[in-house]
Order: sequence, then C-alpha cells, then structure tokens
Amino acid sequence: MSRKNRFMVVDDELIVRESLAAWLEQEGAVVDRAESGEQALDFMQENFYDILFVDIKMPGMGGFGLLERAKKSFPTTVVVIITAYGTVDHAVQAMKLGANDFLVKPFEPEGLGIMVAKLMEHKRLLEETQYLRDEVTRCWGGPDEIIGQSKPMLELFDTIKEVAPSESSILILGETGTGKELIARAIHAHSKRMGGPFVPINCGAIPESLMESEIFGHEKGSFTGAVRPKKGLIEVAENGTLFLDEVGEITPKMQVDLLRVLQDKLFYRVGGVEPIRADFRLISATHRDLPHEVAQGTFRQDFFYRINVITLRVPPLRDRREDVPLLVTRCLQRFARETNRDVDSINDEAMKILVEYDWPGNVRELENVVERAVVTSKRRIVTPEAFAYLTGQDICAGAGFSPRSLEQVEIEHIRRVLEEEEWNISRTAKVLEVDRTTLHKKIRKYGLNR
Amino acid sequence: MIEHEKKPEPRTPGKAIIAVLPLGRVREDILRVVADGLQGILRLPVDLRDPIAVPEDAFMESRNQYNAMALIKYLDRELSHNSLKILGITANDICNPILTYVFGEAYMGGRSAVMSSARLKAGLLGEPVSREQFLDRVVKVAIHEIGHTFNLRHCHTDRCVMRASNTLLELDEKLNYLCDYCEIFLFDSLREALKDPEVADGSV
Ligand SMILES: [Zn+2]
Ligand SMILES: [Zn+2]
Repeated sequence: MSRKNRFMVVDDELIVRESLAAWLEQEGAVVDRAESGEQALDFMQENFYDILFVDIKMPGMGGFGLLERAKKSFPTTVVVIITAYGTVDHAVQAMKLGANDFLVKPFEPEGLGIMVAKLMEHKRLLEETQYLRDEVTRCWGGPDEIIGQSKPMLELFDTIKEVAPSESSILILGETGTGKELIARAIHAHSKRMGGPFVPINCGAIPESLMESEIFGHEKGSFTGAVRPKKGLIEVAENGTLFLDEVGEITPKMQVDLLRVLQDKLFYRVGGVEPIRADFRLISATHRDLPHEVAQGTFRQDFFYRINVITLRVPPLRDRREDVPLLVTRCLQRFARETNRDVDSINDEAMKILVEYDWPGNVRELENVVERAVVTSKRRIVTPEAFAYLTGQDICAGAGFSPRSLEQVEIEHIRRVLEEEEWNISRTAKVLEVDRTTLHKKIRKYGLNR
Repeated sequence: MIEHEKKPEPRTPGKAIIAVLPLGRVREDILRVVADGLQGILRLPVDLRDPIAVPEDAFMESRNQYNAMALIKYLDRELSHNSLKILGITANDICNPILTYVFGEAYMGGRSAVMSSARLKAGLLGEPVSREQFLDRVVKVAIHEIGHTFNLRHCHTDRCVMRASNTLLELDEKLNYLCDYCEIFLFDSLREALKDPEVADGSV
C-alpha cells in the first residue's frame, strides 16, 4: 500500500464505532471516528476519506442525511451503510441514494474482509480513470492552453466541444504547424471514447510499402519477413480514436481499403481470412486542398465524403495575430524553464516584430523562433536583435536577394520546385530525387507553406 | 482429546514482556504451547499466570458469546501486571458487536489482547482436526494478536503469520512465524516501548 487508506466510522454507538475502527486499523488504514453526521462533515472538510462507514440510525442529521451530503460534495468517497438485522429495507433505500454497499451487523469476518478489498479495488479504478482523464487534459493542455483567445480560436473550441461527443468522422484542415494533432487529441479527450486509445498515424511518413500492414496488421507468413502475426493500428485503436495525419498522402488503393473498413466496420489483416471487427472513430487531417484534388480526380470523392462528415478549420497564425503575444509568453516561460535560463521577458519592440511577422510555419515555427531566442539570448530580456534574421528573410524574399548559407539555398530550391509542381509532394520528391518522407521532414523543418 | 483436570501449578509473577493469562479454565497444553510459541518464535520472555474467572459482564446473552472488546477492556483496566503486554486466553466463543465471531482480538498498539480456542477445533466439514493442527492454530492466533499490540498491521507477505485470516482455511494456510519485515517492525516497536523508563525497569 503506497498511500495509507483513510476511513471514517460514523456511529453514535461507541462500541460499534470502536470495534469496526479497530478491525480496519489492523488492515493498515488510518481510521477516524465520528459520533454524528455533523461531526463527520466537519472531519471531511479537513481530510480526504476513501471509505465512510455510516450508521443509518443516528440522532441529528442521521445516516441518510450524511449519505446525501457526502455523495454530493465528495463523489469519489465510497459510502458503506451500517444497519442492523431487520432494517435491511433501509439499506436498500440507502443504495438507491448512492451508497456503495451495506453492512448488516453482526457480519461474518470473512465477508467484511472481502467487502473492504472489493471497495478499495473499486476506488483504485475510479482514481485510475480520474488520473488518466487528468493526464489526457494535461497532454493537450485544455482550450486556454491550446492556442489562444482570438475569436477564430474561441469559435474552434466551441465547435470541438460540440462535435466531440458524436461518432462522426472529422476532417481537420489547416496549414502545417497549426496544431492539427492537438485539435484531434482535444476532440478525443472530449469524446465518449476518451477512455480508449488515441492512435496517430502520419500517412506521409510511413513508406507506401509498409502502410497496408501498419494499418491492417498481417498474419504470420503473409509476406517475407512476417514471422509472426501483427496487430494493425486499426486494432490498436479499438474503442478509441484513429487519427490519420496527412490523409492527403495516402494512395488510391489505400483509400479504397479504408473506405471499405469505414462502410463494413470489418477488415482483414494482410494474409488473413478471418474478418475482424473495427470499432474506432476516425479523425483525419491535411494541409492540402482536398476538394480541389477531388475535382481534379486525384483523390477519391467517396472516400473524401466518408472522412469529411464534419470539417474543422484551424486558422493560420497570421489570421489571429492577437494570439501571438500570449503564445510567445507561454513559449518563453516554457523554454526558459526547460533550458534553465534566466530569460523571462521580451520587450515591446521585439514583440511587435513577432506580431507583424507572417508565420508561414505557424505555431510550430513560432515555437522554434522563441526557443532559438531563449537559447541565444545573453540577457533576461529578449530584444529585437534576436529576430533580425526573421526580418532579413522577408527582405531577401522580397528583393530577390541570393541566399548565402547552404540551408538557405536548400530552402529556396525546395520552395521553387514545390511551386513549379503545384505543391504535389510526390512529383516534387521525384524532381528533387528524395523520398516523400525526407521531403515532408524538410518542409516541416523549414516551415514551408504554399 | 484429554482435558487436563489437574489444577496447574501456582505460578509466581516475574519480570516478563508478555503475560499469558487464562480466562476461566483453559487446557494446560494450550497454555504451554502459547507460552512456548511466544517465547520461542518471538523470543520474548513470557510469564504464564494463574487463571482468573471470565468477567461475567462481558457475556452477551443475546448472542451467547463473550464480547472480546469487553474482555480486552477488563484486562486493561482491572489488572496491573509486571509485563508489557497481556494475552488473555479463553475456551469460550468470543465475538464483537460487528462480527459474528473472532478467533482473537487486539487493538493496534494496545496493551491487551484476547483469543479463544473455541472455533479452532473444527475441520472444514466440521469434523475435529488433529491435536497438532489445533495447537498449531492456537499458536498462530496468539502470535498474530500479540503482533497487533506491537503495532503490526496485516501483512501481505506470502504466508506470514500477520496475514489477515478470517477463516480457518486462511489460518491454516499461513505459517506460525513472522516474515522478515514484520520481525523488524516488531523489534522496532519493542525497542520503542522499552525506552519508556517505567517499562524498562520492570515497574509496570
Ligand atoms: Zn489481525
Ligand atoms: Zn509479515
């Protein structure tokens, strides 16, 4: 037992109070004794109790009164009603009011032991659920942590809360770096499936040849190298949410396969003959203009409709500049803490530069910029010099200035080919003679955007 | 099983850590095995005392059992002994207000504990068990309850005697000695108690 359990016995009869408390103390619990409901409530203001053992018949507020107050103010505290033979109907009534169990005295010793063990297990599970819930909330940060107070973001938060409980497929649209995965996690955290897993798949990062077995899994011997059966990510997402990031990157064949899963709620592992039930909620995201691609015939229309029952748009940072100061301050504090540096503020001129900057790489770029400023700053206050390179970049883009560093050359070259190929990743990758994964990494690293 | 009819030898109180006190008539082999058990297993000096009558106000007519808590209070209140702890033993069935029966009872860190041999004779189907098995159970209950008076709580180590045992089956499953952890806790608690000057010079 890591933390000592704390119980309370509430009974106006000293002898019952004492014998039950003594018994519970032998189990290693801290046990408080109260002789009335009123006294019990006083104690509850001071301490957290795992289990209350409450006698029904007490003068004053009585057991029922205490049960109601306790359940209302301390819903995770387990309440056990103590009753005597002949008043079992009271116990039934108490159960209806939310009591977790009841104890008819005198009790078989074995039964009491089993009951306490069972209630502690029940409590442990409750706490575990609560812990996981907190974890999830902490991971995605909550609406005020996620990005800001601007009107478009507040609207987005409202929409998230509205659409999260439904089971409909959601497509999140937004430029690279706007935090689409965070939005997907937020939806999952507010959905009925929050107790289940959140399984993200970056469709642009998994090589085409592995995609099928990653998503559907495979049976032993279904292809060379398949030495044992493997669960697909669809199976991993059972009861939870499957998040297809960069959904615009999946091949037409994969679109057909996924469409079938979404329609039949069944799928087969690669090389498998047994259909497996699929129970997941689908959230997809892309920075691409899928309606345009549907119109051009490069993306399947039926698949697009299936994944796009609800559309969420994450605004680019330049459309909500009023959030920039908030984001910068948060990031500044976070990086200062993480890197253990004494940089704790930014002056107005420096902030002005950041607010006016266009943020092609969105929040991700902002994080990188602030991190760099924290790491390179020699003073407590970040000044405009820290961002000279940002304004410089603007000048070079505008004035056809030739880039000097190798990195700058690479950025400009990738940007040019992307423009020439109308941001078609596969074609651009072919021209640059790199694979799509590498291209994606570089686009993300440099915050490139059409 | 032979009841020992013969009156036990008069015993003189000496300086001891634990007094074993029969409440009413208790078989001599039970007393002997308890005294030997506490002394041999816990390695604490034991003083086996003359029996006293079971206090009648501890009898609960409605349940035809003795109230274990009342017996403990009686031992605490009525008897001043030259010992740190007292273990009362009775052949009568004992219980407390919330439990239909108990094999023994003690308060955590209390001075007195009480145990009964009444329910330890039966096998799983109600048939009497062997004398060895019966006495083995007696020793386990005695060590367990004395353990509680030294602040030992229920232990989750394998078959330690401080495991909770609410049934005879659970009682039979454990061994009749303390696990390493409980032994350490016992001696910590004992050392703490002996720091008390009144206890240390034997005047209690
Ligand atoms: Zn015990
Ligand atoms: Zn132990």
